[in-house]
Amino acid sequence: MTERQAPPAPGRGASPQRPARKDGLAAFAFLSPSIVTFVIFVLAPAAGVLYLSFYDWNLLSDGTFVGLANFERLFTDERLLRVYGSTVYMALAILAVNVVLGLLLAVLLETRMPRWLRGVFRLSFLFPFVISAAAVALIWRFLLNKDLGLVNYLLGTLGVDRIDWLGSSVWAPISIIIVNSWKTIGFSILVYIAGLQAIPHQLKEAAIVDGANAWTRFWRVTFPLLSPTIFFLVVINTINSFQIFAEPRVLTQGGPGDASRTIVEYLYDRAFGDFDLGYASAIGITFMLVLIVLTAIQFRFSRRWTFYE
Amino acid sequence: MSRILSRVATFAILALAALAITAPFLWIFRGAFSASDAELYKLPPTFDPANLTADNFGQVTDQVPYFRFFANSIVVSATVTAAQIVTCATAAYAFARLRFRGKGVLFAVVVGSLMIPIQVTIVPLFLVMSKLGLTNTLWSLILPGIFSGFGIFLLRQHFLALPYELEEAAKLDGAGHFRTFARVILPLSGPSIATLGILCFTYWWNDLLLPLVMISDTERQTLPVGLVLLAGRFSTGSLGTIAAGIAMAIVPVLIVFLAAQRYIVQSIASSGLKL
Repeated sequence: MTERQAPPAPGRGASPQRPARKDGLAAFAFLSPSIVTFVIFVLAPAAGVLYLSFYDWNLLSDGTFVGLANFERLFTDERLLRVYGSTVYMALAILAVNVVLGLLLAVLLETRMPRWLRGVFRLSFLFPFVISAAAVALIWRFLLNKDLGLVNYLLGTLGVDRIDWLGSSVWAPISIIIVNSWKTIGFSILVYIAGLQAIPHQLKEAAIVDGANAWTRFWRVTFPLLSPTIFFLVVINTINSFQIFAEPRVLTQGGPGDASRTIVEYLYDRAFGDFDLGYASAIGITFMLVLIVLTAIQFRFSRRWTFYE
Repeated sequence: MSRILSRVATFAILALAALAITAPFLWIFRGAFSASDAELYKLPPTFDPANLTADNFGQVTDQVPYFRFFANSIVVSATVTAAQIVTCATAAYAFARLRFRGKGVLFAVVVGSLMIPIQVTIVPLFLVMSKLGLTNTLWSLILPGIFSGFGIFLLRQHFLALPYELEEAAKLDGAGHFRTFARVILPLSGPSIATLGILCFTYWWNDLLLPLVMISDTERQTLPVGLVLLAGRFSTGSLGTIAAGIAMAIVPVLIVFLAAQRYIVQSIASSGLKL
């Protein structure tokens, strides 16, 4: 035997050294369905977008190569800057609602109550998450109607004047924030519930024995142990809320002005409204870069505040 | 005393939130049964069984080929879901349990794919489909959904948490990777696969963009587009019919969700969902 004894694997010691080459072949077999579909339906279109971003193309004629002209246009497009502004505003608000209000509701759900009641609460929070954005937007178009809508009626009974939810530049983005949060908060609550359930009871009981009040217990025990869950939600909700499309499209058409327009909606309009496909592609490429950088920053920054056992 | 107060406050907040979230549904279902638009817009909403009618549902099926849309949606969502479970589970197994060169880079690509909105790549995707001769067929709605970075990510997190001892035992019994995957990992992953299944099914059931771009033939459309068609046709007509259409599009996905929702909490709890 020329084979030397492999040094014991560090860590758990449960998995002994395996020959890497054999795994490599198996890995290829297991990964190939994903790789094939990824290459054809994700990578090739993404490369196509990059390619198109160097062209001036309107879908009908042959495209002309314009180099970086589409990217230069980005810097002189004042509307684009405004749209980035409203996208960031709405995305941050939706993120905050999901992360903060979601946590509050999830913590309240941990209160002792009958099983069925907890079930009813959970289900009602999750319902909107499974409904199509098209249906959601149609429902809310009724509810937020200025003169005939239920929302203004209910506010009216409280003595609040009618609000022009979908038609004013102050309220239109707030409408999008409300409707999107309404649709997505259930998912955040669900993820929080799972995170809270994973916290060992002994820790909370120990804190109670030590005389910590509810507030201290939350900040010293629950919050640190929940930080990876919070981080997961921050990342996923950032990606999702920056990509909002259907709500502004159906509810406000991005208006008034560009008050409730999102980047994806602006991009869609450039592509399918103006058939300015090269420029739309350049917007898409830079938008993806923004998201990637944002996520990378979140990962980098997370080391300071997340706590892994 | 303050204890009782805080309990009352807790339940008040939860009940208010639950009401705020469910009220729009109750309202749309009630609207679906209303006999006239005046009835539907009556404020405060009233509920008088004598004034209810099921005519709106008949209107929906008269105005658009609802059952055709429904069947198309079922075919697309069910096929995508089945295919996605296969591709995601196998890939997740490789990422969670196998060692191979380039794993880190490939996994970064998977996470990176989450950042590519489909609206951005829809034009080249359309070109790919027309090159393959698949536009205006249900395949053009099925194939783009098969790869899912989120699905791979979700299942990998779960597979990582499964104990290695079981796998070792299977290896000692002479099982290869495929048998380990099929006989050890999969049977232990019911809840997380159910979660992926539900999320995938509801996502593709609800998708509006892809059918709008890929399908030109009304007979081959899916329900969300049908809903938009219905709403467009009735922009000056009966709101009750639109409400009925919305209700008919919501109910099937609610049934799927209700049937499987308990697995979601379970699986998210077991994987911990840590990045």
